[in-house]
Parts: sequence; C-alpha cells; structure tokens
Amino acid sequence: MATPISSLPVIAQTSGKGAAKWAARRAEKAAGANRRPGWVTYLLLGIVIAISAFPLYYVILLASSDQVTISQTVIPGLLPQGNFWNNVQTVLNGPYPIGKAFMNSLIIAVLQSVSVVVFSTLAGYSFAKLRFRGRGPLLVFVIATMAVPTQLAVVPLFIVMTKLNLNNTIAAVIIPGMVTAFGVFWMTQYLENALPYELIEAARVDGASMIRTFWNVAIPAARPAAAMLALFTFIGSWVNYFWPFIILSAQNPTLPMVTKLLQSGYHTDYSLIMAGVAISTAPLLVLFFLAGRQLVAGIMQGAVKG
Amino acid sequence: MIRSTRTRRGAAALAGASVIALALGACSSSGDTPNEGSGTTNPDEKITLTVATFNNFGYTDELLAEYTALHPNITVKQNVAALSDDARLNLTTKMAAGGEGLADIEAIEIDWMPELEIVKDKFADLASDKVAGRWLDWKEAQGKTSDGKLIGYGTDIGPEAICYRADLFKEAGLPSDRKEVAELLGGADATWDKYYEVGKQFVANSDSAWFDSAGAIWQGVVGQIAEPYENRADGSAKDLATNTEIKAAYDKIVEVSAELSGNFDQWSDDWAAAFQNNGFATMLCPAWMTGPIESNSGGVTGWDVADVFPGGGGNWGGSFLTVPNTGKNVEAAKELAAWLTAPEQQVKAFNNAGTFPSQIEALASEDLKASTNEFFSNAPVGEIFANRAAAVDAANLPFKGPNYFKINNAITNALKRVDVEKTDDAKTSWDKAISEFNDLGLM
Amino acid sequence: MTVQSPPNQALQPELDRRPTRIAFSQKLGKWDVKLSPYLYISPFFILFAITGLFPLLYTGYISVHEWHTLGGKGAFVGLDNFTAVLDQATFWKALRNTFSIFLLSSVPQVIAAIIIAAILNANIRAKTFWRMGVLLPYVVAPIAVGLIFSRIFGDQFGLVNALLDGIGLDPVRWHSDAFASHFAIATMVNFRWTGYNTLIFLAAMQAIPGELYEAAIIDGAGRIRQFFSITIPQLRATIMFVVITSTIGGLQIFDEARAFDAQGRGGGDKQWMTLTMYIQDLGWGNQLNFGRAAAVAWLLFLVIIAIGIVNFLITSRISTAGTKTPKTSKKAKKVKL
Repeated sequence: MATPISSLPVIAQTSGKGAAKWAARRAEKAAGANRRPGWVTYLLLGIVIAISAFPLYYVILLASSDQVTISQTVIPGLLPQGNFWNNVQTVLNGPYPIGKAFMNSLIIAVLQSVSVVVFSTLAGYSFAKLRFRGRGPLLVFVIATMAVPTQLAVVPLFIVMTKLNLNNTIAAVIIPGMVTAFGVFWMTQYLENALPYELIEAARVDGASMIRTFWNVAIPAARPAAAMLALFTFIGSWVNYFWPFIILSAQNPTLPMVTKLLQSGYHTDYSLIMAGVAISTAPLLVLFFLAGRQLVAGIMQGAVKG
Repeated sequence: MIRSTRTRRGAAALAGASVIALALGACSSSGDTPNEGSGTTNPDEKITLTVATFNNFGYTDELLAEYTALHPNITVKQNVAALSDDARLNLTTKMAAGGEGLADIEAIEIDWMPELEIVKDKFADLASDKVAGRWLDWKEAQGKTSDGKLIGYGTDIGPEAICYRADLFKEAGLPSDRKEVAELLGGADATWDKYYEVGKQFVANSDSAWFDSAGAIWQGVVGQIAEPYENRADGSAKDLATNTEIKAAYDKIVEVSAELSGNFDQWSDDWAAAFQNNGFATMLCPAWMTGPIESNSGGVTGWDVADVFPGGGGNWGGSFLTVPNTGKNVEAAKELAAWLTAPEQQVKAFNNAGTFPSQIEALASEDLKASTNEFFSNAPVGEIFANRAAAVDAANLPFKGPNYFKINNAITNALKRVDVEKTDDAKTSWDKAISEFNDLGLM
Repeated sequence: MTVQSPPNQALQPELDRRPTRIAFSQKLGKWDVKLSPYLYISPFFILFAITGLFPLLYTGYISVHEWHTLGGKGAFVGLDNFTAVLDQATFWKALRNTFSIFLLSSVPQVIAAIIIAAILNANIRAKTFWRMGVLLPYVVAPIAVGLIFSRIFGDQFGLVNALLDGIGLDPVRWHSDAFASHFAIATMVNFRWTGYNTLIFLAAMQAIPGELYEAAIIDGAGRIRQFFSITIPQLRATIMFVVITSTIGGLQIFDEARAFDAQGRGGGDKQWMTLTMYIQDLGWGNQLNFGRAAAVAWLLFLVIIAIGIVNFLITSRISTAGTKTPKTSKKAKKVKL
C-alpha cells in the first residue's frame, strides 16, 4: 500500500502550525500555481458555470412570468420580468403549510447531515486506519448495500416504521438516512490517503485513548471531506421527495412535497409552480453562500493536513 | 469475546426479528373485522377523520368545516396528493404493507378501481338506503365489486363531448357554430365513421390535423365496447390473438390516423406545444379536459364545445370515495363519505374545482346548468356535459376487470409505436402487442 | 482518560503497519483497542439491520412466492418468478437499455469531472464562486430540470430539432429511436451529477502533496504531463470510489428515464425502459406482480455486484499500473536531462 506520505504533518508536529501553513503555501506555489491561469481557463469555467446555472436562471425566468406567456414561448424573455414577487406572494399566501414544511425539511436535513458525517467519519476512520478482524469483508458488505434497489425497499421499510409507531413522524424520514453506505465508503477512501499513520502513532504514543486519537487526529484530517459530505447530504435530504411522501402527510410535509402539491393546486401555471421551486431552493443557495467559503477553506486545510 | 459467534448470533436474532415482522405484517393484513370504536356510539368522543384525495376534488377547508359545524366532535383533515398516480402509489404501498397508515377515506380514480377487486375485503360495504339511487346507474355500478358490494361512493364523472377549434373549422370551410358542429358530426346519431369522414373533409382544407392522438381516440372507442378484454361473466381474460373486435377497432384507428392524427402523445411537451401551433382541430373532451386545454392554450382563441359524441355517449375518468376497513372510525368515515358525495356538496365541489358531479340531483341543479365557460366561447358547459352524461349508455360501458389496464396498455403501446413513434407498421406493432399480452401470463 | 491509557506503542499492532512487540498491556486499553473499531462501525450496521437488511431479506422472500402487490402472498413457487422474467424479452431489453444509458452517462461524466476538477484546482480567482457553481445542477429541483430537458428534446417542437431544422438537417427522433433516447436521458443524468463528482475529485486533488508537483516541475514536466503523471495516479482511490458509486447509481437509473415522457413506462416499444423502471412497472404498474418485481430487483442486485467486481478489478489494475508512472517518468526525465 503506497500511502502518499507528506512531510507537512511532520512539519506541523515539529515546527508548529505556522510553519506548516507556510510550507503548504510554498507547496501550492510549486504546484505550478505561481502564475494565474490564462483566459482560456476562465472561458472554459464560464461555459461550465453557464450550463450549470441555466436551470436555476430558467426557474427565475418562469417564476417572474405568467401562465399565458409561458404557454406561448419556451423562453419567456431573456431577462426576468416583473411578476416574481407577486407569484412568490401568491404561493406563500396559498393554502399550503410552507412554514411547517420548511421547518420539517430543515430539521431533517440538519440532523441527517450531522449524523451522517459523525457516523461515517467514525466508521471510515475505523475501516481506513484501524486493524480488526473482518475488516475487508465488512467494507465490501457496506459497499454492496448500495446496490440494493430502492424501489422494493419501500414496502418493508414502511412495515418497519409502522411497527416502530413512527408513521407520519419526521423521525421516520430521518432514521433511514442517519448513516449511509456512500458516506462510510467516502470517508474510508478519503482518510486512507489524507491521514498519515505517523499522526495516529504519535497520538497513541502520547497515551491518547482510541476515541481521543480519533477526536484529535482523525477529525481535523477529515474536515474537508466531512464538509463536502455534509453539503451533499444536506442537499440530497432537502430535495428528497419519494419516501417523505409515503410516510408523511400533507399536513406534515417537507418542502418537495409542497412543491409537488403546487403542481396540482395551480394546474399547469408554471409561473406559480416555479415560484414555489424558487422558494424551496432559496435556502440551499443561502447555505451555498455560507458553506461555500467554509468548504473551500476546508479543502485548503486538507492540503495542509494531507 | 469471540467475534464470529457474536456475528452469527446477531444474524440469527435479526432473521428471527424479520420473521416476526413478516408474521405481523401478514396478521394485520387480514384484519377486516370492524375495529373497536367503530360507529358513532359515543357522539361526544372527539375524533379526527382524514380524507386522502388527489389533484383537486374541490373539498375546500370551508366545506370540510361545514361538516364539523354539523358534527362538533369530528375534525376533518384532507391529505392531498398531487396527482392520481401519486395517490395510487401511496395507497398501493400501504396496502402492500398490510393496510396500516391508510386514511379513513381514500379517494380512488376509476382507472385503478378494478385493481381493488382483489382486496375488496379490505374496504367497508357502503350500501345504505340513504344513498340508494343517488348516482347515475352506470356510475353506481362502477363503484361495486364483481359480487355487487358497494365499496365506492361516486364523486365526479367525465362525460365526453367534442371540443373543437371554431376558427380552424371556419378556415377549412366547415360550420363553426356549436349547434351546427353537433349536427355536422351526426347529432344524436353520431358515429365514429361520421367523425372520421368530417375529419377527412377538414384535413383536405387545412394544415392542422383532425385529432391529437390515436391513443386518445382509442380511449373513446374502447370506452364503448361492452367486454373489450375480459368476460363479464367470470372476469377471465380473452386471448388477444383471437380478439377480433379489438383487432378491428385497432385496425380502423391505425388506418384513419395516418390521415387524421396529429401524431402526438397525450400529455407530452410536444402535445402541449401543439395547442400553440394549431396542431389539431378537435379533441375527445371529457368535462375535466377543458382545464388542460385552457392552460395549454394561453393566447389562443376559438375553442368551443359541441354537444355530441361519436357512438352515443362516453365517459372518461371520474373518482370514488372508499372507506378502508383498517380505520379506527369506519362508521363515522362512512357517514362523512356519504355527506361529501351528496348532491349539495358535489355542486359546491363543482363550483370550487370544476369536478363534474355524478349525482342525478346535482346534474339537474340550476347552479350547474347555468355554468358557462368563458374560454370555450362562453359555451354552456354545465348543460352540455349534463346532456352528455345522460347520453351514456350503461350497457355499452366497458367491463373492466382486474386485468383491464394491463391489456389496454399493450394496445395503447401498439398505437403509440405506429402513430407517435413511427417505428412499426400496423402489423408488426400488433404482433408486439400480442407478445406483450402473452408476457402477462394470463392465458 | 489519557492518564489511564497505556503510554506507549502497545497499540501499534492495531495500526495497519508493521506489527511490533507488545511491551505490556493494560486491560482497559486493550479492550479499547479491540472494541473501538467495531464500536465505530456499529452505527452503520445497526441502522442497516433495521432499514436495509430486512428489506433485502423480505424482497428475497417475496421473490420465491406468487405475490400480488395488493393481494399479498400466494403459493411458494421456488424460482418460477426468476425464470418467468428471464424468459421475457422485456427483461433483456431493459438490461440492454440500462447498460447503454449507464455507459453513455458514467464514462463521459467521470472524464469531464476530472478535467473540470483539474481546472478548478488551478490557482484561479474567486474559487468559491466557481466551485459552488458546478454544484448548482444538483441543487435545482428535478422538476425544473425535467421541464427544461423535455423542451430541449421534444420531437416536433423541441429546441434541438428546431436548431437542426434551421441548418437544414433532419430532426432527431428523440423518443422513437432507442439510441437517441438513451443519449437524451444520459445527458440529463450527466447534467445533474458531473458537478457532484467534480467536487469529489477536487477534494482528492487538494490532498495531493505539493512536493510531488514541485519535484515534477524541477524535472521540467509541463502541466499536461503533471496531470497524467501525478494527478491521475494520486487519484487512484478516488477514481475507484467514483467509478464504483457511479456504477451502482448508474445501473439504478430511474428518475430521468421515467421523466422522459408523460407515461413514464419507457416508450411504446420499451426502448428506454431501465431495469428499475421494469421493477416499478411490474410491482406498481398495472401488473401488480410483486413476486416478479422482487425477482428482477434481486437480479439487478446481482448484476450490480458482478459489474462492481469487474470494475474493481479493471480500475485497480489501471491504477496500479498508473502508480508506477511517476517513478518511471521521473527516471526517464532524469536520463534525458
């Protein structure tokens, strides 16, 4: 196993954090980054972002239009029109429990993200860095569980949740997503590379218990991957429709359930439907804005640790 | 601790647990005896009833509050699914899991009513003197199982008329007034042949197609065949390979579609866009279709409704309220379902959401008869569709057993291949339908 | 806590590397070391036992019975459900479609993701903006994406066909032609997941030690050379991860294919029906044949496992071959210099 061993943690150990940071900066420069890339790079990125952002822009375009215009043209003008706030108002004042849906979605997404990150990091650390009997087969088993088609799991899962008396509670939505095979696999792969054995050994030599070692050594190294896992989990949970729809009810919904209801409530008035989509997407954009800096900073820290 | 035994023991315990859970699931599914607390024995007991509907049944909070005003101990909550497919998926999943978690009242669309035959024991018998004779007889018949048990109270129906573009008719030199159009298509004696014949005149003088989709026409034609795929007597499936009646109807539609169809798949984006592009001049038009036509036709004027339908009358769609046996308050739920489907409430629902009532009394109400539709050139839609509902011949309505939609799917797929996708001709597509039928393993 | 723990290397055998002597042991510490790994992975397995294992076993149990989705269990039929679906042309067609869509989506997706990640890994301005930007398609509700793509890939009034018509080409029959429909569906899948995989690769690239590049630059390696000699081999584990997860996800393609037309049953000739759609159609469509649906679910599970193993073997061979490259190339360079 050719674990890439960087000298940086050693620098951090021996010369303190400041030195490590400096070394990292130097390393980054050395990575051919001492000059900024030219306009071709930005052009390519610009194209990628334009394609990526188009659906979101399209949502705004439709949400700021009206039914007649939308049924007449595919793209109702290249710039948003004036109807956006009207449509948002209409949806917010409609007969849908949007406030409750927002709280439900928020609670579910936050709890799932936190729990997935904690449990996946624990398990990933264990699989990547600790030796125990059955490790290989158990990891393969974890990965294999991802291959179970979800379609059929719904009925047995519903039976389980009913037996646990969790029907129509958000707990029934949260529990199945508290730790995912994807998360465990992801943290395992990441920590395998990003966490050098020297750090663990050093902590153990200092007499740290297993959990303390995990806390002091693994967690910091895992931070960038954990930040990403949290973001992915949060978004995945936020847009999840199917299972909440089965187990919850229209009085106790999540945001995607309300968005879906708008589709029937307003027939095919896409301006209102898209206003609903915009409302349910906005919190994610706020999250992007807040988490984005953290995430990028986190990834940079990863470079230091790695 | 020795790990291997631990895991083995754990696995055994798990296996045990799942067997228990299976047994429990099986148990709960057979619980068709009325539960404790059924009936309104204690009128002061506070209960909450849930009504699961889809789309828009016109049951507003105000309407439901009226029921609470009449029965102060009862609160009614509505659990709305966006589309009937969603509601079906929800119901099916919960039924498959043993029936728990179902609402006290579940709305069912006619399209999946026949499926419930196999679980008819899980639904309460709704027959009572109070509701006898409330509905059009054919609607009431649709709410019954094969052995005559009434499991669904009718809500709305979809009596079919012909919606048409008066402006395109005029351009093609055809009469455009709704009375004249009804006469043109044969009036009370309208036939499919007449409809196709006028269509041929139309396409000869127009760039637009006559109708939108072969699949839509099939819906109308098969809706007038008494026993299309199954024998009414015992519910058994007919072999499609030897079903000459269906084969003839299929051949006819394929033949005329080559000339008359817009080749659209209903509900696709192309279909929706065609409303903006004068894609077709007529549509088979159940009462509820007026909604989608209007919302797809922003800026387009000229739609109208003619009080006529080829082959007499036809019905497309409509729903029922059922009461699953698994509920805690079956008797109270029955009472609520009866109230919701009473003529007075259904007229209100019609005013709220345009769901066309199925109750004889509601169909005669002045409120309904006076309703017009501005978008459809102010056509008196209430009166027209009430007439169309009266024209439906109960004896001609198709028998839909548990296999109806499986087999019907094979045919609509076949039509889609020829009409929309153009990957097959009539013959090869029919052969594929037969092999699809054989895959169902019904023979 | 720390005080109670043994102050030394007694625990080293538990680390993945060199087993060493056990100087002395303290019971508590020993238990700590032995049990901790299991404790850490236990949440996953406990949860899986509740929400994953039971469904899996239950599905197996269903698959060997005659089982109507609504009506429930019938007679035990052994492997009849399996042989019945294997006998149907639809199963094989669905298998073909699944593979076709999977290949059209995952291969370009992984390649594009690595390239975009490499660009994002450069010292660009406004990093946050670009990095978050690529994840936008993952955020926007599928209904909006579906709406856009159905207008792009319409047969008669779609955007692409309008453009083709404008330059005098024949329209593509997006919904009739099997390959065209697979391409359109794969495009939707790629659109949604490329950014996601990009960020995964980016995180891994950020963890590549800088001095590897430093050494390469000293050796005179250009950017492209660095990319192939350092970045790709160092991404070994991540490529494996992405390939395995996107294989598993790709073979379960459902939402995009289902949303491709109004009926969601894969077209008139089932030309874009995937295996998961077939499961849905059998179990929840008009057939309501839960037994056969469960059988297909198990077959799909086995197919995914088989492909996963093949994938793993191929990827690990490529990347082991890859790891040697930096050394050899360095040597080659040195000789040249």
